[in-house]
Amino acid sequence: MSSRPYQICTKTIMDTTDPNIIFDANGISDYYHNFQETILPNWHTDERGYKELMQTAEQIRKEGKGKDFDCIMGLSGGLDSSYAAYIAKDVMGLRPLIFHVDAGWNTQQAVGNIEKLVNGLGLDLYTEVINWEEMKDLQVAFLKSQIADQDLPQDAAFFSGLYKFANKYKISTILTGANYSTECCREPEEWGGYPGIDTMLFHDIHKRFGKRPLKSFPLVDILIYKIYYRYRYGMKVVKPLNLVPYIKKDAEQLLFDKFGWEKFQHKHHESRFTRFYEDYWMPKKFGYEKRRAHFSSLILTGQMTRDEAIDRISRPEMDDHFLQQEFEYVANKLDLSVKELQEIFEGENKTFNDYKNKKWLIDLGARAQRFLGMEKRLFR
Amino acid sequence: MLRPRVIPCLLVHDKGLVKTVQFKDPKYVGDPINAVRIFNEKESDELMVIDIDATRENREPDYKMIENLAAECRMPLCYGGGVKTVEQAHRIFSLGVEKIAISAAAIQTPELVTAMAERVGSQSVVVVLDVKKKMLGGYELYTHNGKKSTGKNPVEFAIKMQELGAGEIVVNSIDQDGMMKGYDLNIIDKIRKSISLPMTVLGGAGSLQDIGKLINQYGIIGAAAGSLFVFKGIYKAVLINYPNWEEKDRLINDNMQKV
Amino acid sequence: MISLIDYGVGNINAFLNIFKQLGIAANKASTAEEVKRASKLILPGVGAFDDAMQRLNESGMRDALQQAVIVDKIPVIGICVGMQMLANRSDEGVMPGLGWINGEVKRFDPATINHITKFPHMGWNDVKPVRESPLFNGLETGARFYFLHSYYYQCAEEADVLATSAYGLQFASAINHNHIYGIQCHPEKSHHFGIQLLQNFANL
Repeated sequence: MSSRPYQICTKTIMDTTDPNIIFDANGISDYYHNFQETILPNWHTDERGYKELMQTAEQIRKEGKGKDFDCIMGLSGGLDSSYAAYIAKDVMGLRPLIFHVDAGWNTQQAVGNIEKLVNGLGLDLYTEVINWEEMKDLQVAFLKSQIADQDLPQDAAFFSGLYKFANKYKISTILTGANYSTECCREPEEWGGYPGIDTMLFHDIHKRFGKRPLKSFPLVDILIYKIYYRYRYGMKVVKPLNLVPYIKKDAEQLLFDKFGWEKFQHKHHESRFTRFYEDYWMPKKFGYEKRRAHFSSLILTGQMTRDEAIDRISRPEMDDHFLQQEFEYVANKLDLSVKELQEIFEGENKTFNDYKNKKWLIDLGARAQRFLGMEKRLFR
Repeated sequence: MLRPRVIPCLLVHDKGLVKTVQFKDPKYVGDPINAVRIFNEKESDELMVIDIDATRENREPDYKMIENLAAECRMPLCYGGGVKTVEQAHRIFSLGVEKIAISAAAIQTPELVTAMAERVGSQSVVVVLDVKKKMLGGYELYTHNGKKSTGKNPVEFAIKMQELGAGEIVVNSIDQDGMMKGYDLNIIDKIRKSISLPMTVLGGAGSLQDIGKLINQYGIIGAAAGSLFVFKGIYKAVLINYPNWEEKDRLINDNMQKV
Repeated sequence: MISLIDYGVGNINAFLNIFKQLGIAANKASTAEEVKRASKLILPGVGAFDDAMQRLNESGMRDALQQAVIVDKIPVIGICVGMQMLANRSDEGVMPGLGWINGEVKRFDPATINHITKFPHMGWNDVKPVRESPLFNGLETGARFYFLHSYYYQCAEEADVLATSAYGLQFASAINHNHIYGIQCHPEKSHHFGIQLLQNFANL
């Protein structure tokens, strides 16, 4: 695929597994430069950030007066959304409705964390349970498509469910746990970081490999939620974690101390499928390590040293025996035999370009957003 | 010290988990395997899984699903739904299920209870009584997911089941199902006083306090619940929950009378 | 290789699933040959005593088991009725037991039980070790297991009692004589408590 000689950033650990990475004369990647030049100058977690946070809070409270809740936020049980829930309630004084999408892969720890937060913060919870037969069909279709981004079905379920609900009940403010602190280094698209829900891609893949109609599965196209919902309904997305100091270790400790929240070994481990996908499927089948981007984010924000990152990425998060069992669990759950899943695993890799998609349009939109200063992370 | 059992009860409808209210309006709550997995990780005392369509649709139990569920469980599993013959019971038993629950079949062919007990052991034969209040007082047994009235008196029937060799009786209140307003202590009391078999009650638990009340009154009993362990809050959000060992011990110690 | 004695009684798959999860090699033994190759043996059992003894006697493995356990001193653990089969006899039936740990199996006396339901002893109950044993390594005080039985083991020698539980009386819920073990409850259905115990047995 890539005939570039291997090179790794001397500041982060992003490397040429991102075929479009650019290095300067000192071997420093554009991820580092983008962070320094575009993100950092506009990222305030001191009094400036606090002021903006409280102003936003005031606004949301005003708009929500008299309603049962003043905003809505998705909670997965993972660190980002959990800490954001704490900020929303205890710091911003908001009354969020907690929204959780159950796509069938919740780990017991995630479910437990959601319960502890909802109880500890005294919040109301609403769940959307995705019809498992449909979810299973969609996931198997995606696996058979051989593209790298296997988390698209789960992501689609989460975001579509959330946006649809907000739209239905005319809730104009959505809070998310998106943050620079642990995500400033974005996973390149080649690794499966597709920039949003592209219903064209979904329909094509499902048409070719799916077996049952998607009747209840929520699917909201990125153009709908980024443009239509936003401009027609005035729906806005607030990211409180960018306005407060957000250090992973401190956040985990606070949540544990206050609520008994249990930390995960790594990002996204709240979903059993995502854990398997990021720790086994992606690295072994495609050679992509999402952890590279995660750790690089932590390096850039001073939460991890480059040496620590190099060391940790040299090993998988979970051991081989465990991953073998997970392979079986995933096969079983998707109603595939281990052999069938193995066959898919060994199949020829494809990309989203092998299917109908409107990524060119989404890219245009992303470029426009960057131009307008609305999106600061590096999108390729 | 022997403890009362606290048992999640899951209903399967169309391959999915559902929760009903008074045996009607099934609401989809997710994939059975994942739920069983989570209850397993939460270390629940036992687990009941009931296929609410099998009898009504007159079809075989879903053996593949049962096998998958049994493979996940590290606690005793009770399966019910569509079991009519000793062969079916034995097959399910061999898949690794500890207890087989029958309801309609026990009413239609009571001798099945004895035959099953002989084949798999009486401790594995559970008879479920779906009970509903009668218009003018008293209770009646129903079958086929609460659709068919049988005209039978639950107390008399429970005694008969004990005589025929059943190992456990489950009393399931149709009126209280999904209402989360407490168990039907009236019918529970009537049946508890007439048999000496292990008993489990289901239908109506809205809080751990309801279970506490049951323990306080009857000591060693099985307290089963569906909605309580599956829903959370006023929006009935689907969130599987179950007390941990400390919470359970506290519930039991606070309520169990000193024997 | 740990072998589960497959003589048509007991939930073998539950054990195999646990050992698989732990990454410990285990298989089913249904022939004398397979018994001979085992490095450790597990004798499961549910249902009636006579029925279990009869099936074991007719399984073709009886002699091989005798050889393995008594002569070759292969570690063995009897589970539930499997433990009761280690005795000389049982109140529940007329057939003789294996007689590998001296004692007899008695029915619980209903007069000593204060619950409405006297039989069976069913549910989660504490297991208290009375002496140190590798079988209980890593188990917290207040370890509890799932029981489902109406008869209990009365050891001839006090020294063979490994742990007790309370039901009417303090009965022997675990027994041990040299390399022979018995446990009355169901470790394969007792969550992390049971998994720990099975792991300990594997590590003996």
